[in-house]
Amino acid sequence: MKGLRAWFARVAGLFGRERRDRELAQELASHLDLHAEENARAGMSRQEARRQALIKLGGVEATKELYRERRGLPFVETLWQDLRFAARTLGKDISFTMAASLTLALGIGASTAVFTLVNGVLLKPLPYPHAERIVYPWRQSPPGVELGFNELPWGIIDTNFFLREAHTFESLAAFKNGSFNLTGWGEPALLEGHRVSAAFFSALGIHPERGRAFTKEEDQAGHEFEVILSYALWRDKFGGKPDILGASIELNGQLYSVVGVMPAGFDFPQSEQMPSSFNFPREAQIWVPLALSAKPYPAQPADLAIIGRLKPGASVQQAQTEMDLLGRQVEKQFPNGKGWFTSKVTPMALQVTGDTKEPLLLILGAVGVLLLIASSNVAGLLLARSMGRKREFTMRAALGASHGRLLRQALTESLLLAAIGGAAGLALADASVRFIKIIGSDMLPRMQEVGLDLRVLGFALAVTAATGILSGLAPALGAAGTDLATTLKEDDQRSGGSRTGQRYRKLLLVGQVAMAMVLVVAAGLLTRTFFQLLKADPGFQPARVLTFTISLPAGKYTSNEKIVDIYDRILARLGSLPGVQAAGIAETAPMGGIGESTVVKILDRPPVPDLQAPYANYTIASPNYFRAAGTPLLRGRYFQESDRPESVPVTIINHAMARKYWPNEDSLGKMLGLGSPRFPPMKVVGIVADMKHQSLREDVMPEMYVTYTQKPYPSMLTMQAIVRTHGEPAAALGSIRTAMAAVDADLPVAKVSTLQTIVDQSMTRPRFAMLLLGGFGVVALALASIGMYGVIAHSVNQRTREIGVRMALGADPGQVFGMMLKQGARLAGLGIAIGVGTALGVTQLLKTYLYQVKSTDPATFVGVAALLVSVALLACWIPARRAMRVDPMVALRHE
Amino acid sequence: MGEKADVWQGTLALMVLKTLDTMGAQHGYGIARRIEQTSGDLLAVNYGTLYPALLKLEQEGYIKSEWGVSDNNRKAKFYALTRAGRKQLAREAQNFEQMTAILARFLAAGESQS
Repeated sequence: MKGLRAWFARVAGLFGRERRDRELAQELASHLDLHAEENARAGMSRQEARRQALIKLGGVEATKELYRERRGLPFVETLWQDLRFAARTLGKDISFTMAASLTLALGIGASTAVFTLVNGVLLKPLPYPHAERIVYPWRQSPPGVELGFNELPWGIIDTNFFLREAHTFESLAAFKNGSFNLTGWGEPALLEGHRVSAAFFSALGIHPERGRAFTKEEDQAGHEFEVILSYALWRDKFGGKPDILGASIELNGQLYSVVGVMPAGFDFPQSEQMPSSFNFPREAQIWVPLALSAKPYPAQPADLAIIGRLKPGASVQQAQTEMDLLGRQVEKQFPNGKGWFTSKVTPMALQVTGDTKEPLLLILGAVGVLLLIASSNVAGLLLARSMGRKREFTMRAALGASHGRLLRQALTESLLLAAIGGAAGLALADASVRFIKIIGSDMLPRMQEVGLDLRVLGFALAVTAATGILSGLAPALGAAGTDLATTLKEDDQRSGGSRTGQRYRKLLLVGQVAMAMVLVVAAGLLTRTFFQLLKADPGFQPARVLTFTISLPAGKYTSNEKIVDIYDRILARLGSLPGVQAAGIAETAPMGGIGESTVVKILDRPPVPDLQAPYANYTIASPNYFRAAGTPLLRGRYFQESDRPESVPVTIINHAMARKYWPNEDSLGKMLGLGSPRFPPMKVVGIVADMKHQSLREDVMPEMYVTYTQKPYPSMLTMQAIVRTHGEPAAALGSIRTAMAAVDADLPVAKVSTLQTIVDQSMTRPRFAMLLLGGFGVVALALASIGMYGVIAHSVNQRTREIGVRMALGADPGQVFGMMLKQGARLAGLGIAIGVGTALGVTQLLKTYLYQVKSTDPATFVGVAALLVSVALLACWIPARRAMRVDPMVALRHE
Repeated sequence: MGEKADVWQGTLALMVLKTLDTMGAQHGYGIARRIEQTSGDLLAVNYGTLYPALLKLEQEGYIKSEWGVSDNNRKAKFYALTRAGRKQLAREAQNFEQMTAILARFLAAGESQS
């Protein structure tokens, strides 16, 4: 209480200083008067009386100073004083201030921008209540079976069992993607959505904004004709009318009644936050009940994802233990499926950030290095400046400024500089985050949630303070620690810098070059990766190919015969269009994600247990599909119109499959069976080139194709059309729409894109990584060369006299030039050597992001080293030339 | 140096409060003279150190100040005890007495042992 009161009084003491000073002066004057009067009464002369009074008081000014320290907060007062002084000195040297604060702005801006991304993607909580309790129990493949992805879908029987028996979950729900043709409401449209079981929304903890969620009864086969709309769909397609609730809409030829509308922004699950093996749509528009059938037919594909909300207090580990237990119970029902019922319970947060966490942290590391370069650059600048101001500091020390006081003054200056840089950096960060959001909205999950917030501001503040202190400390210590006598004795010309100061600067420079080397090498490796990817053979020719989705309503196309018939007619129509070279369909288009996979049996070999059985991606295609995609046939033949249900069942395999399962024999003509004996064996009639499905860098999996004309399993309701055109693909779109409408007016032509666009999109991440690190590399190079220039130029200035003497003694200008250049080359060489060593270690971290480039790629290392050497020499060139032109007479007279 | 100064400030503050208690409102010079007379050399070095102590006591609310006129018709700033100051004096005096008693016992014990 007393402390608080006194503190307030002291804060108040910061203001009204003049009045208080006057009052103190009056008080002390009256004190002296009283004392002197008494002294005079004791018999002293007037003058002596006054003198004695003053002595007794201890000096008017000293008392005032003591008093002032008690009055206000001396710390604040000196801070204010220092700040004003720093602002004045910085203002006097505008070019220095600009250079230093711009450098810091770059460093702080870049790191704040990257932190903003990290914050939005990794640190912010997910937008679901108690999201830490939401988990996905994914199916795992048995140990030793490599399918290329780690999260597998569940089947109906196992899912039903889990939903019924699991008790660690408050809600547990299954879901899968489903697309729906909306008809009878304007243009037919293909809606992306999900079939979800009743507990889906309570597992997420988000409920419809209008209307209600599904009931348990609606989640029964035969009662599932209810639908919940996304806010965006309700607003855009249904005009945002509240009376939509209870209305009926036609989906896939069936009437569904609308029971709810979700809150704005809810579009769970988004593909980018889900395993790629599931092929979830980018964003969900509608949800309908899953209504799992109690008695599924045996070969129904496994395609279910499960999401659960843990009971309060239940741990992920408990859920994992329970799922393991339940898995073993299910396994008993499937003797063949041993090992296929293990699960991995993954917290939602982990799933969402998944494979973006590591690259983001790497980028944060890279930007941290950039920040270090920027601060050491500014430290170098400040150091040079403080050497120039040595006399000023010495003078102030001589006039009684303490060490701490000088240190604080110097630090205030660098902190002020950092604050200017920080403010500019924050603006820079905001602008670049906005820019990244525009160009790269699909590069990272949760991009729409990214933005400046308090945490980002706190980060920027901390970084600013850290760079301020970091860059100011060395020069500040140097300034405060000067030896009075020697400096004052030094003459003006040579007080340019002490040896230690110059050594610090060289040390900083070597560090900068080394760090720049590391960054530029990383950027170089990623750039090479990018160009390797451009050269990579995707297994198809993306130019002049249009793709779109055909989705048949199940209500209308009820049998395989009807489905085959309409595809026959569609393909005949499309194929005969004048602008079309070839038209085909396939379950998954090139680069359109991974479809189904299956266990295969090679008939002339002894049977192997399921666990070791060969497997392959399984894709339904049409005879002209490979021609349309431009996938070369390596051996045998393509599918033909004559491959019909009554003819021999045939299959075409890719090169990877032929090589993997028939390494030393001819696969052509071999017979292949599927997992279930219900499907007739197929004859391998062709081998095609490997097509990539997810990214150009993937290792191609074995893949087998069957033709839709032979009515294969399972459903063929959704297909991707691939149309190779003669001219510009977009020009053919009109006639394609007309042709489709002529076959069935209710079929939407959905998700139209060109193959080239899809391929380009798959390159956004590598391109982003390349541009980002490339940008850091360029900035690092620029900063390092500025630093190099600074050090050499300074050294030339300092050695002007020495150079003059050398030249007077007959050294030739070329020698002088070489000498200065050599000095720069030595520093750069040392930095590069250290940088190479560091980079060799650091680039190990990049391994997974490289494609057909080794992390120790000699070409990149040598190239970058050469680049750095030449940049360094260029930076030395200008000051070295100035050294060459030194006039000995002028230099010697310089004294 | 800091600690010693603190002890000094604490002692000085107590003396100021006691002085104002016995003499009533008094100006800075008067307080200084009184302390010098009673304590001998404590303030002998300089009177100046008194003023920060007065300011501190005033900031803490134990004393208040007012401009007035001295006996010999000079303008001076007069300090007087507040109610809080009176309480503080009682408290501090008691503390001090306890402290000295303890210390005296302690030192006496040490002496008898050696």
